[in-house]
Amino acid sequence: MSGFEVPKKFPTTVVGSYPKLDPAPEVLRRYRKREIDDKELHELIKPAIKEVINDYLWAGVDIVSDGEQSREDMVVYFAERMKGYTVGDWVRIFDNTYFRRPVIYDKVEWKTPMTIEDWEYARSISQGRPVKAILTGPYTMVEWSFDLHYKDKREAVLDMAKVMRREVEEYLKRGVKYVQIDEPALSTRPWREDAELVKEALEIIFKGVSAKRIVHICFGRLERILPYILDYPVDQFDLEFKNSNFRLLPFLKEYGFDKELGYGVIDVHSLQVESVNEIIKDIEKLMKLDIIGPEKVYVDPDCGLKRLPREIARAKLKNMVEAAKIARERW
Amino acid sequence: MAIKAWSSVLGGFHRPRFLRHALRDVEKGTLPLGLEEELLKVATAEVIGAQLASGMRYVTDGMLDWHDIFRPFVEAWRNVYPDGLLRYFDNNFFYRIPIFRGEPEPSKPILAPRVRAFKELIEPAEMKVVIPGPLTFTLLSKNESELPKEELAKSIAKALNMELKEAVEAGAKAVQVDEPILIDPYLSLDDINIIDDLFKVLFEGVDAFKILAFYFGVPKKDIYERILNLNVDALVLPLAENPKGFLNLVKEHGCGDKIPVLGIVNARNIYDDDYQHVKDLVKESLNTLKTEEVGFTTSSWLDLIPYRYSLRKTTILGKYSEILSKELGFDYINPLKII
Repeated sequence: MSGFEVPKKFPTTVVGSYPKLDPAPEVLRRYRKREIDDKELHELIKPAIKEVINDYLWAGVDIVSDGEQSREDMVVYFAERMKGYTVGDWVRIFDNTYFRRPVIYDKVEWKTPMTIEDWEYARSISQGRPVKAILTGPYTMVEWSFDLHYKDKREAVLDMAKVMRREVEEYLKRGVKYVQIDEPALSTRPWREDAELVKEALEIIFKGVSAKRIVHICFGRLERILPYILDYPVDQFDLEFKNSNFRLLPFLKEYGFDKELGYGVIDVHSLQVESVNEIIKDIEKLMKLDIIGPEKVYVDPDCGLKRLPREIARAKLKNMVEAAKIARERW
Repeated sequence: MAIKAWSSVLGGFHRPRFLRHALRDVEKGTLPLGLEEELLKVATAEVIGAQLASGMRYVTDGMLDWHDIFRPFVEAWRNVYPDGLLRYFDNNFFYRIPIFRGEPEPSKPILAPRVRAFKELIEPAEMKVVIPGPLTFTLLSKNESELPKEELAKSIAKALNMELKEAVEAGAKAVQVDEPILIDPYLSLDDINIIDDLFKVLFEGVDAFKILAFYFGVPKKDIYERILNLNVDALVLPLAENPKGFLNLVKEHGCGDKIPVLGIVNARNIYDDDYQHVKDLVKESLNTLKTEEVGFTTSSWLDLIPYRYSLRKTTILGKYSEILSKELGFDYINPLKII
């Protein structure tokens, strides 16, 4: 590995997913049709992961991901690889795009490493840049599945947390530096009891974990759950800001936020590329409030970039990295 | 006198596989443009058939071509554009945020042509059209016009009013207005204060059975009290998803002069709803709500579960409504039994 060092101020990162690059769409199609097995999938997907990493390196992102090229969907991918699930039927996500909402029919259990292979490959070609381990959170897994077994959300979520914990252990054996749990479903149900359930789940997943512990939450009324989540056992909250016009910022101040912050400055739902100046101004909005120092701010997009065209995603990342460089000089 | 009872699916259906593929192929350019219209008619006939066979009194066309509840209107109105995606309430489903850059100016009707196309197929049942409520439309959009929010909301209500009037003229007998934003616990009083005026504009000159629907949660008490004053004939109470919350509401506040339309079938899971549980809920509700008429429906649209389950839930709704009516002594209106 090269001696790459993550900048001490305003490191740049990504939330995880990236547009599916060739040959990923075709490989996933073949996998769905059972023409190839899991082992072949991970082998054949490598050129796509390489392209993703090349884009990150070109843009200059400090902490990268494998681009989730093997993941048809953030829930389905894991559901297909653990015990207790069966393949679901198609339900719509948006427009004419669907996902096979999986069905829990039995107790969920870890079977075998689910995400390690792609992560290891990404790490082998990332020129020393750390690669985040990214797992879908237990709450989101359960919320976005049909449950025919548990009929009790808490029991289902906590069992799911044990599955994810087991996966995290695989990463820990391999020296992972950043572990991110994605819980987008939480922001849609901003209730204390749901937030507390996620906390219990995170305690299971992160117990004794020395790597950087991150939870990613996005799109919803984040300010409503903020008071309930501040004591989560994590080092970093990775949150969406840009799409909601930085509405959350005053609440961070109000609640005395003092953890690290994954600061979303790129709108992943807009095709408009944020200019370097615009991103600097958005960073300034945070710095002006004097909530946390620049060493605790990780500059990144609001969420995964998978819905964007590749050229737009690249351009957004490039500007984000440029803006972070300037921010390092300024603050 | 026996309580009059009827049933109606709340809104749209999931798309069947052949239609999903056709729409995808049109996007890819591998299916001749226009062929998907024919397939849409076939798919619509299928969901209409399912509703008729299940004894629904009011039948929708299934809205199978709507990408989200706002889109057909956004695409048919000038000065409005669909933008990025945003999650629709607590679902893993996203709508495109409508961007208003001025007052909406309808360029073509959305509902009336559908009513004309399908009303004969729907007979002897009656056609119900569904629109997004003006408050939900406004609050889930981005206002980039120079109009204040209240003015924009009113202009949306006006455009929707034109839709409703034309749909009724074309033969729609029931109109359903969906205001899911009413369940938002953070809905401000300023926002709710404009709803009375919006509904006046919305229903001006609309001569049809008017239903107000909200779903995905329970409105706060003060919001519910305001809802009871709105000028609608019937109110959907989606019991199946939040039985306790709704029972508390109706026990405390009743249903005013509105006909309760009880959402007895859960439209967001794939279980067969438990009949005894449904029966208990209906009995408990109607012990409180002294009414001469009751409707039965699903807890939300059937577009968030796979197609086969959306049909199955329709059957469950029909069967349960009929059995319930028999057991509880209601006079159940099943249009197909008339002939």
